[in-house]
Amino acid sequence: MQKLQGIAVSPGAVIGEALVMDTEGFRIPRRFVARDAVVDELERFNKAVTAAAVEIAHHRETVSAELGEKYGAIFEAHLQMLQDSRLRGEVEELIRQRHYSPEYAVSHVLRRYAQVFQRLESSHLAERANDIFDIEKRLLRHLLGRRREGISRLTSPVLVLAHNLTPSETSNLDRRFVRGFVTEIGGPGSHTAIVAEALEIPAVVGTGPFLTDVSGGETVIIDGDQGLVILSPDEETLAQYRREAEEKRIQATRLEPLRDLPAETRDNVRIELLGNIEFPYEVDHCVDRGADGVGLYRTEFLYLGAETEPTEEIHYQAYSRVVQAMGKRPVVIRTFDLGADKMPNMPHPEDNRNPCLGLRSIRLALRNLPVFRTQLRAVLRASVLGNVHIMFPLVSTLLELRQAKMVLADVMEDLQEHNLPFNRDLPVGMMVETPAAAMMADRFVEEVDFLSIGTNDLIQYTLAVDRANKDVGGLYNPVDPAVLRLIAMAIEAADRKQVPISMCGQMSGSPLYTILLLGMGLRRFSVTPSAIPEVKNLCRRVTIPECQIVAERVMTMENARDVKNYLKEEVKKYVEEVAE
Amino acid sequence: MSETVVRRTVVVTDPMGVHARTALAISKIVGQGKSQVTLIKKDRQAKATEVLQIMTMVAELGERVEIEAIGPDAAAVADALEPLFAGMFNDETQESA
Repeated sequence: MQKLQGIAVSPGAVIGEALVMDTEGFRIPRRFVARDAVVDELERFNKAVTAAAVEIAHHRETVSAELGEKYGAIFEAHLQMLQDSRLRGEVEELIRQRHYSPEYAVSHVLRRYAQVFQRLESSHLAERANDIFDIEKRLLRHLLGRRREGISRLTSPVLVLAHNLTPSETSNLDRRFVRGFVTEIGGPGSHTAIVAEALEIPAVVGTGPFLTDVSGGETVIIDGDQGLVILSPDEETLAQYRREAEEKRIQATRLEPLRDLPAETRDNVRIELLGNIEFPYEVDHCVDRGADGVGLYRTEFLYLGAETEPTEEIHYQAYSRVVQAMGKRPVVIRTFDLGADKMPNMPHPEDNRNPCLGLRSIRLALRNLPVFRTQLRAVLRASVLGNVHIMFPLVSTLLELRQAKMVLADVMEDLQEHNLPFNRDLPVGMMVETPAAAMMADRFVEEVDFLSIGTNDLIQYTLAVDRANKDVGGLYNPVDPAVLRLIAMAIEAADRKQVPISMCGQMSGSPLYTILLLGMGLRRFSVTPSAIPEVKNLCRRVTIPECQIVAERVMTMENARDVKNYLKEEVKKYVEEVAE
Repeated sequence: MSETVVRRTVVVTDPMGVHARTALAISKIVGQGKSQVTLIKKDRQAKATEVLQIMTMVAELGERVEIEAIGPDAAAVADALEPLFAGMFNDETQESA
């Protein structure tokens, strides 16, 4: 049994079989070969070695010619390593004696060699593991040939363990069989985190290197509540997790009757609970939980992992599916919230020293109007199918908002000229996710139809903390008084002007903060669909005056820890147990 | 022809340790000679013609490695190998000067 601590990014716990992805994102099949196939498999291995050797030799010549002998020598060393007699002997032994498939045997043996280097303390020697991985990749490429499989073709449930998952890998995966993710790198905002949340499966990221210790097929527990990954758990641990899973199931069954009841406080104040979604199919999760609408429809998935920029039609198809499924209920479509590096066919910005503070999101949209306009056209066309709202992300100045609205007006004119129907009165809103937007909220409300507080970025920008950074991640806290003051400012400004305001960050989906947010005046929560039952449950047990007392007390506190401890006590008065 | 046995202990002075290119140079020299050469570091041994074995023996800066050469040109081979542990390659004597 081996325990790894990572960052919990998608809740729940799951027990299952490990599927390990190689460094290029291809699965390493753990396959055994039939006894009578051994000779053929050995032949296949030898062919792969020969093919890889030819390739390396060729590579060596090119590199030598271009960069000089000194660099070409690295590949000659690779060539020698590949042909190492002991290495080949070990692989052949595994195929012959243990009936491993050549892919599995290669991966198994080379990873053991790589471990020798990875365990070293001096970094330049540890780097050499990359030489070994390079050889492994090359061999696997030749062994698997066209049969190289990603996680798109699976036949049984698995937990995917990878160094990192790219958007194209996660978007191609077979959702029926992937039950959890672990990645060695990444933080709460990573793509893996978003996808796992969308799929409602547990995920842990940022565990640090461990993949050399697993080869696939082992039993693994992913604990997405505590950020734990347990490799080859013992019986006792397994029993404990099975028991907890059973308790969760019972709890979920208990909340099920809430589905058709409104989120209404004991003193009859109706709270709106909407769902955050990323992929069109998630609209079903919203419908299942009785959501009042989609409060945040992220559109990044249309761009991530795409080879080319999505066409207007691709946008339109995705939006119309969601809008139609929601009927009269609102669907807030947020325009793309990405950096240029994640956009297909967009040149990387020259200056990218500080991407979070750089050219991204609405700033990027306003600099790339054709891409922005394509999306706006599709949103407008979908607006006749239901109750569509449009929302701009990361707005930090009034000028930006006005520019974005001007582009929208321009696209409307364009559609009109072409006699394409759209809803001219579609509500236009913006995210409040920069301290600038919160502080200027009283001015912004004059020019928008609604606001939505995005806590993830608001916290990061207010506290100057990257929560994926292990050294400072502890400072990242939704209930830091500085963050709470900004949230309060935004809510007050919106209330004064009677502009609807919601919150769509992770904070709004945690029952720990529900009482506080209600007390601060929030009446619309947009949360990950799986969080709807718990938040609703809490809403139905409190009264607004009770919440206001809590909020007033919180606003006098001086640090996040005190706030959190106090809230934990308060929540306990209404529900038995609450996860953060 | 006489079977000479030469044992020589060298200290790795190349700050990068015995890396891929060193291992390659060692295997080449040994491959061209007529002697059997084994590198020994504490309890680990590597056949000096095998790059992967030399590398995974992991000889870092400051560590002692014993060169054991058996064969007619044992001394000559050991002489040729020695400078490699200091990171001195023939191909760059001029540029690194």
